[in-house]
Amino acid sequence: MRGLVAIFKRELFSHFVTPLAWVAMTAFLLLQGLHFFLIVQHFAGQLDLSADAGPVQTFFGQTMMLYLPLLFVCPVLTMRLFAEERRSGTIEPLLTAPIDTAGVVLGKYLAVVVIYAAMWLPTALYMVLLGRYGEVDWHVVGSGYLAVLAIGAGYLSIGTMTSALARSQLAAALTSAMAIMGLFMVGVGEFIFPEGVGRDLAGHVSAWAHMNDFSRGIVDSRRLVFDATVIALPLFVTVRAVDAWRLE
Amino acid sequence: MIEVEHLSKSYGAVAAVRDLSFQVEKGQVVGFLGPNGAGKSTTLRILAGFLGASSGRVRIAGFDVAEEPHEARSRLGYMPETSPLYPEMKVREYLAFRAELKDVPRAQRKLEVGRCLELARVSDVAEVLIGHLSKGYRQRVGIADALLRSPPLLILDEPTAGLDPNQIREVRALIGGLGAEHTILLSTHILSEVEASCSRAIVIAKGQLVATGSIDEIRGRGRPEVRLVLRGARDAAARALGASPGIASVALEERGDLVYATATLADAEQGDEATERLVAAAVRAKLGVRSVMTHAATLEEVFADLTREEAAARSEVAS
Ligand SMILES: Nc1ncnc2c1ncn2[C@@H]1O[C@H](COP(=O)(O)OP(=O)(O)O)[C@@H](O)[C@H]1O
Ligand SMILES: [Mg+2]
Repeated sequence: MRGLVAIFKRELFSHFVTPLAWVAMTAFLLLQGLHFFLIVQHFAGQLDLSADAGPVQTFFGQTMMLYLPLLFVCPVLTMRLFAEERRSGTIEPLLTAPIDTAGVVLGKYLAVVVIYAAMWLPTALYMVLLGRYGEVDWHVVGSGYLAVLAIGAGYLSIGTMTSALARSQLAAALTSAMAIMGLFMVGVGEFIFPEGVGRDLAGHVSAWAHMNDFSRGIVDSRRLVFDATVIALPLFVTVRAVDAWRLE
Repeated sequence: MIEVEHLSKSYGAVAAVRDLSFQVEKGQVVGFLGPNGAGKSTTLRILAGFLGASSGRVRIAGFDVAEEPHEARSRLGYMPETSPLYPEMKVREYLAFRAELKDVPRAQRKLEVGRCLELARVSDVAEVLIGHLSKGYRQRVGIADALLRSPPLLILDEPTAGLDPNQIREVRALIGGLGAEHTILLSTHILSEVEASCSRAIVIAKGQLVATGSIDEIRGRGRPEVRLVLRGARDAAARALGASPGIASVALEERGDLVYATATLADAEQGDEATERLVAAAVRAKLGVRSVMTHAATLEEVFADLTREEAAARSEVAS
C-alpha cells in the first residue's frame, strides 16, 4: 500500500481547491436542508408520533430526496480521480514513483469517501435540533447514517472505477451515474416482480429497502455484506485497469 | 547503470521500438537522439516503469524493471516529456507531495525539498501556483522532482523542448552541473543538444538503434567529401575518379569545358590518402586540376544520414 497516505492527502487537498466540489457540496446541503424543512413541516401538525414513522425515519428511509443527490454527487466527486490525471499526463509521474497500484487506488477512493462523509456532517445538526424539541431515537440516527455511508461508499467505488475506465471526466460521470441508476432500478424490481427468486434478488439489491430497514433501526448484516461487495468489486477492477495501462 | 536487451514495444499494430539493445555506464551523460516518432519516449517510459515492454528486458542499477519495479524505480528520477504537473498546487507543496511518495523520511522532507528547489533553481517560485508558471519553470520543477532523494540515475525526456533560447541555456547549464553527481540519460531530437550536454549518444530511428558511441565516434561515421574542379571531358573524369581506391561514389556535373566532381570517401580515417590518390588519378588522366576542397561531414549531416529512410537497412553500423 505504498503511496496511500500521500495520495489520500493530496486528493483531499485538491478537491477543496476545485470550485466544482464546492458547488456540489452547496447544492447537496441546500437539497438536504429543503428535504428536512419539508419533513418537519409535515410533522409539525401531528401531535402523536409513532416510533416507526417520526421525522428521522422519514429523513433516512421514506423519501426519494435521499437518492437523487447521491445520483449526482457520487459521480461528480469521483469523475476526476483518474480521468483527469490521464488527460493531463500527471498519471505518468504518479505511476513511476515507487508506489503500489492498490495504494494509488485506495488513497484516491478513501479521499472521496471522507469528502462524502463530510458532506453529510452538517445534516447531523438537524438531528440535534430534533433532539432538542422532541424525542430522537439515537440508535435509529446511527443506523440511518451507517446506511447512508455504506450505500454512498459503494456508489463512490463505482465512480472510481468508471473514472479509471473512461476516457474523459464527462464520460466517467455519465457512466457511473448510469450504473448507479441501473443498480437502483434493479432494486425497484422488488415492487414489480412476482413472488420468487427475481423479487428476492431485487429486494436484496434494493437501496430503497436498505434505507427503509436501517431507518427503522434494523441493521441487517446481509445488506452490509452486499454493500461491502459493491465497494470491493469496483475497486478491484480499478486496480486491474490501472495495471493494464502499462501493457497498452 | 542501464542495461537494455532486445527491447521491443508495440502499440497494437504499431511497432514503436524494435529489438533495441544498449547500455549506459555509471557516471555518463548520454544523449538519446532520434527524430520525432523514433521511439524515444516509448523507450524512456519503459525504463521508468510507466509502460511494460512487449519483449526484452531492462535493468536499472541491476534491478529488472518488470520483476523488481520498486527497487528499480527508487533508483531513478524521471521527468516525463512536457513535465506534467498539478496546476492547483504550489511548487513547494508539489515537491513535498512527491518527496512523501518517494519515501523521503518525514523529518528530512523539508530539507530535501529545499535542496532540490535550490539545485533546480526554482526556489524563487516555491510559493507560486504551478498553473501560473512559464514552461521553462515547469520543466525545471520536473527536474527538481527527479532530483528528490538524489537517485543515482536521472532520465529526462526532452528537457529543453519548447523552451526559448534563454531557458534552453539555463536548463543546459543545470544538466551540466548535475552530470558530476548523477548518471543522466536525456532524450532530444536536436543534435546540438547532445553536443552541448553529453559525452555519449545513442541514436535511434524508427524504433531501432542506428549508432552509439562518443560524439567524435559518431561524427567519424560521417563520410567526408572531396570537391574537385577539373578541366576536361566528363567521361574521362568519371573513369579516372571512379577507379581511384577509397572512393564510395562520385557525382559529376559538366559546365562548359569544366567538370565539377564531388567524390564521397568510403572512410573518414583514410581521408587524406584518398584525397591524394584522387588528385594523382586526375593528373594521370591528363585532366587539369583547377581546385581541390575537402569537406568534413558535420554532425548534422551524419545524423540526417543515419536516420534517413533506409536507416533500418543500415543497422549493421551499430556497434
Ligand atoms: N500511446 C500510443 N498509442 C499508439 N501509438 C503510439 C503511442 N505512443 C506513441 N506511439 C507511436 O509510437 C511511435 C514512437 O513514439 P514516441 O516514442 O513518442 O517517439 P519519440 O518520443 O521519439 O518522438 C510513434 O510512431 C508514435 O506515433
Ligand atoms: Mg517523445
